[in-house]
Amino acid sequence: MIERTVTVVPENGLHARPASQLVEAANSHESQVTIGPADGDSVNASSMLAVTSLGVETGEEARLTADGPDESAALDAIESILTTTE
Amino acid sequence: MIDEPNEKRKIAGISATPLSGLGTARWYHPGERPDPDAVSAADPKTELQRFIDAQTAANEELERERELTRERVGDKEAAVFDAHLKFLDDPQLVDSIKTNIENGEAAEAAVKHAFGNAIEQFEAIDGTMAERADDLRAIQDRLLRILSGADRTDLSDLPQGTIVLAERLTPSDTAKLDPDTIAGFVTMSGGRTSHVSIFARSLGIPAIVGAGEELRAVRDAVTVAIDADEEIVVAHPDAEVRERVTAGHSLTVQSGRVETQDGKEIAVAANIGTIAELEQAVDHGADGIGLFRTEFLFLDRERPPTEKEQYEIYCKSLNAFPDERVVVRTLDIGGDKPIPYLDFPEEQNPFLGKRGVRRSLGTDSDLFQTQLRALLRAAAKGEGTLSVMFPLVARLEELTKLRNKISHVASNLNAEGEEYQIPELGVMIETPAAVLMATEFANAVDFLSIGTNDLTQYVMAADRENEAVEDLHDPRHPAVLRAIDQVVEAAHDHDAWVGMCGEMAGNSELTELLVGLGLDELSMSAVTVPAVKANVGDISQSEASNRCNRALMKNTKSMINKVINQ
Repeated sequence: MIERTVTVVPENGLHARPASQLVEAANSHESQVTIGPADGDSVNASSMLAVTSLGVETGEEARLTADGPDESAALDAIESILTTTE
Repeated sequence: MIDEPNEKRKIAGISATPLSGLGTARWYHPGERPDPDAVSAADPKTELQRFIDAQTAANEELERERELTRERVGDKEAAVFDAHLKFLDDPQLVDSIKTNIENGEAAEAAVKHAFGNAIEQFEAIDGTMAERADDLRAIQDRLLRILSGADRTDLSDLPQGTIVLAERLTPSDTAKLDPDTIAGFVTMSGGRTSHVSIFARSLGIPAIVGAGEELRAVRDAVTVAIDADEEIVVAHPDAEVRERVTAGHSLTVQSGRVETQDGKEIAVAANIGTIAELEQAVDHGADGIGLFRTEFLFLDRERPPTEKEQYEIYCKSLNAFPDERVVVRTLDIGGDKPIPYLDFPEEQNPFLGKRGVRRSLGTDSDLFQTQLRALLRAAAKGEGTLSVMFPLVARLEELTKLRNKISHVASNLNAEGEEYQIPELGVMIETPAAVLMATEFANAVDFLSIGTNDLTQYVMAADRENEAVEDLHDPRHPAVLRAIDQVVEAAHDHDAWVGMCGEMAGNSELTELLVGLGLDELSMSAVTVPAVKANVGDISQSEASNRCNRALMKNTKSMINKVINQ
C-alpha cells in the first residue's frame, strides 16, 4: 500500500466535476483507492457519494492511499486531477 | 352498447382554432406516477432485476443527454451528467438499494429510501452540498420515472401528422410542439381562453380542448379527424369526414392597413410568444405585433436569456415590421407558469399573487433590468417602432417605479456609451383597479392595451382555467363590456391610443362591436388576422358605434348577444 498527501487545486474543491473525474480514475484502476482529509477518516474513492460528502475544499490537503497491482499509476492519475485547475 | 374498436366515434369538445385536420393519435401521459411506497413488491429476485434494468436505462438516457448537451451547449454544462452517472453507479447507494430489496421492498421504495437518506445527509450540510442533494433528487426521479413506465414521449420530436391526445398540456409542453410536423392536438381539459387554446391559435394548428373523459376511449395509433366547424374529434373517420376536414377553407391574406367603409383605419396586429410565431404573423398579413408575450423566451431553459439574446430577438421582430409597431409586454410570470430557475413562493391563489410587475419590481428586478436594457437598445436599432407595456399594473405608484427604473437603465446605457432609445410606454388593462384608474394611467403613458382574458377573469371573479365557471368567463357580460368602454373613453380623452390584445379581439363575430367601441388596434392570434381584416372592410364605423351604444345599454349577456347578432 502506498500513501500520498496532495493540496487540492480545483477552484470549487472536491465537487461535481473534479469529484466525478476522481471517481472515474479510481474505478478504472484495479487497486483499492481511498481519500480523506489530512487529519480524518478516509473513504472509498470509487463512491461518488462518499467523495462528495467529504467536503474537501480548495487549498486543503487530501490524504490518498492505494493498495493493489497498479497502486502507483492509480495515485498518479488522481494526483493529477487534484492538482490541475478546472 | 359495446364499443366496436374500429367503429367511427365522435367526441364533442371546443374548437380552439378555426382549423380542421387529420392525423394519427398519440397519447401523451406525463408524470402519472404511483407513490413509491404504495407499490407492492414481487419477490426480491424480480425486484432486483427491475432495479438493474432501470439503472441500465437511466445510464443510457444520461449518456445520450450528456452527448446532446455537449453538442448543443458545451463541455462544462455536460459535466453535470458525468456526476449523475457516477451517483447512479455509486457502490454505497447501490448496496443500500440491494439491501432494501432483500428486506422485501419493491424497487421503487428501495430507491426512494436509499436516495432519501443520502439526500438528507447532504441537505444537513450547508453550501455547495445542497447542489449535490439536487443531483441526487434528479437521479432518484429519473429512476422512479423509469420504474413506473411513465411516458417519456419527446413532444419536440413527433412523427409528421401526429395528433397529440392528452389529459392536459402545460405551457412548457405546448412550447415543445413543432407546428410543422404535428397535425393537431386534443385535450380532455381546457376552454376557449385556456393557455393551451391561445397557444394553438398562435401557432395555427388544429386543436380541440375540453373533450372530457370520453377521449380516453380513443386508442394510440388510430386515425383521428379534428373537425373545427362541428367542434368534434372523430376517431376512425369515414371518407366523408376525412374529405371535409382536409378540404380546408383559407381566407385571402391582406397585407397593409384596412379601413371601415367610412374610412376609419383599424390596425389588426398579431399576438406572439416566440420567433416562430413571428413568421406566422407576417404570413397572415398582421399590421405589426400587438402583444409579444416575452415570458415564452424564459420558459423551458436552464437559465434566463441573456441581454444579447433578448436584444437580437427584439431587433428581429422589429425588422419583420419596418413600418409598424411591435408592442412588447415585459415578463409576465406568476405561480401558474413557474420557471425552473426562479423562486416561486407557495401561493394559495397565484392569479391574485406575485405576478407581472409585482415580481418585476420585486424579486425579479435583476431579470427585469436585463430585459429593459435589451429593449432600450433594440428600440434604437430595430427598424419598426418599439412600444413597451407592463402587465398587471394596479397602482399609479407602480408606474412611477417603472419609469424610474427605465431612467436608471437609460442613464447606465448612456454612461456605457451604448446606443439606446426610450420606447413608447403603455399599461395593460387587466385588473378592475386599472379600469377604475384608466384616466390617470392614460394621462401618464402613450397607450393602454386591454387584456380581455385576465380582465374578464378578474371582473367576473371567474378562473379562466376552470371549466365549471366557463359561462362567466365571457367578455360579452355587461360588466366587462362597460369596463372596456370606460377604458377606451379614458384613453381617447387623454390622447392615448388604445388596443385590445385578448382573445376577444380575434373573435370574428365581435369585430363590429369592437370597432364600435372605438378601439384603435385589435391584436390576436395570427390565424384569425385574415378573417378580422375581411370583417373590418365590411363594417361602417357609424353603424358599429350605434349598435355598440345599444349593446352598452343592455343589462344581460343574452340581450347584448341579441344586439350583436341582429
